[in-house]
Amino acid sequence: MSSAPEPGAQLDAASPLPTDIPAADEPVKVPLAIEDWATVVIMGLLACITFANVLVRYFTDQSFAWTEEFSVFLMILLAMIGGCAAVARDRHIRIEYFSESGSMARRRRLAQFGAAMVALLFFLIAALSVRIVWDDWRFEETSPGVGLPQWWYSIWLPIVCTGIGLRAVGLFIRRSRTPREEEGQERP
Amino acid sequence: MIATLLFVAFLAMMLLGVPIGAALGLAGAACIALANADAQWFGLLAVPQNFYAGLGKYPLLAIPMFVLVGSIFDRSGVALRLVNFAIAIVGRGPGMLPLVAIVVAMFLGGISGSGPANAAAVGSVMIAAMSRAGYPASYSASVVGAAAATDILIPPSVAFIVYSVLVPGASVPALFAAGMVPGVLAGLALIVPAVWMARSHNMGQLESSLPRPPFWKSLREAVWGLAAPVLILGGMRMGWFTPTEAAVVAVFYGLFVGMAIHRTIRVRDLFVILRESGELSAVILLVVSLAGIFAYSLSTLGVIDPVTDAIVHSGLGEYGVLSLLILLLITVGMFLDGVSIFLIFVPLLWPIVQHYQWDPVWFGVLLTLKVALGQFTPPLAVNLMVSCRIAGVRMEETVRWVGWMLVAMFLVMVAVIVWPQLALWLPHYLGY
Repeated sequence: MSSAPEPGAQLDAASPLPTDIPAADEPVKVPLAIEDWATVVIMGLLACITFANVLVRYFTDQSFAWTEEFSVFLMILLAMIGGCAAVARDRHIRIEYFSESGSMARRRRLAQFGAAMVALLFFLIAALSVRIVWDDWRFEETSPGVGLPQWWYSIWLPIVCTGIGLRAVGLFIRRSRTPREEEGQERP
Repeated sequence: MIATLLFVAFLAMMLLGVPIGAALGLAGAACIALANADAQWFGLLAVPQNFYAGLGKYPLLAIPMFVLVGSIFDRSGVALRLVNFAIAIVGRGPGMLPLVAIVVAMFLGGISGSGPANAAAVGSVMIAAMSRAGYPASYSASVVGAAAATDILIPPSVAFIVYSVLVPGASVPALFAAGMVPGVLAGLALIVPAVWMARSHNMGQLESSLPRPPFWKSLREAVWGLAAPVLILGGMRMGWFTPTEAAVVAVFYGLFVGMAIHRTIRVRDLFVILRESGELSAVILLVVSLAGIFAYSLSTLGVIDPVTDAIVHSGLGEYGVLSLLILLLITVGMFLDGVSIFLIFVPLLWPIVQHYQWDPVWFGVLLTLKVALGQFTPPLAVNLMVSCRIAGVRMEETVRWVGWMLVAMFLVMVAVIVWPQLALWLPHYLGY
């Protein structure tokens, strides 16, 4: 108590900033590095394209506005690919108040139900969007801004949505294991 | 009938722990199929179309960028230097550290756009410092969680960007300007109970014995952080950049400060920063896009108008309806996060807003104030989750401290209802 107290906040300069508690990922069959690298590359690209936009506008008189279409596409891709990893890590926003209480059997059943619903929705979107891609291709739609074939963009919708659905199936399988197995690898 | 199903299915799935986006999308898809039973493919082609269209909006790009800004400034060492500078100004004494925590959180609110990122940045510095000065960890966690809630009011703010995409006639700059005064008021209001509780419980007895950092040295170190909100908000005000561009400029500024000046970010940290912020943005954006399916089925079913009619003609009067809405939203806010609340309720409430001719910007500030309250109302308080994790306490322990701060911020919300000019004066003055 009487030992000279350390200076308040200054001491923290030495202490490393807590890089969140490293959330150990559950082991998954298909490595999450696929989504992670894609997410990192897309985020980096988005930041660089927009920054380049600012620079180009100030140093030349040219508008770089055609990149807008590309940025929007990258953002949609980011939402789906990042969302894919978030499904595998079970990080999506949900109300855990009721599903995290009660017996282990109940929790497991609710976790399975949640994963099944995610899988159902994204398989549905994937299946339906095949038709959209087909229409884009058949009618040779071009994008409004740059004039690229629209199906270059829309083709990713069924592909990545299937990926999200598969990740949800993976989550379903992991949540189906017996509680004894599960205890060792519970979420932090 | 189908409309009832829409809400019942959505609520049931949500309460059973289905991710909110999936619950919105599935309920919406089911209702579209039922309502168009005789159309080709049950009209379900609208599902992927709305999913895609819900996301394909350029202004939404500001969300991943501001999330990235928060993640970078979280690690840039700016918070620590701001804290030292603030202590150098206010000095040492009982109740001073909580005050510093709140002021620094407000200041960081001028850089980052989301509450939890702010709670992480301030909490990582302040909670350790406060425990050394003799404040209980549960109290520190409460102060940091509440203070970080001012972040979504003080521009820039992810919540305002989502609101502006949903509501025509409320531009992002106008909303940003409108959030300024209520945000600062909310921060000041939090200081009162925080300092009062510290004094009346004799917390922080060790604080006055701690040394005071030298003024000029801490100013010199803090100047990089102090300049950031000037760059972001000033740049937007001067018309140098759009909100999205301001976020990107802040990203590179933060990287420069973190990597070259303070040297707290290494090159390999970039991977973690980009991955985490990318995944977090994706979680938000997916809810946005799936809510598009829900909103589409709401609008095609035509349920909003009868409900609005019933509410408007219920004889409660304008303020009665408003109080009811706030009561409803506070209850919902205990379980739902802010972005989801906006996406679900703004389309529902919009006709009511139009009927009473409420100012859309004012209403946005009110909703955001409510979301800010929800961010530190247990049991689902995103900011408290972060600060409690740093402090190593359970959220239940914060309940005894958080109550008075909730009351303080609630009073600010009442003030904004009674005097709408608190929110509307600044955007008018700036000419938005």
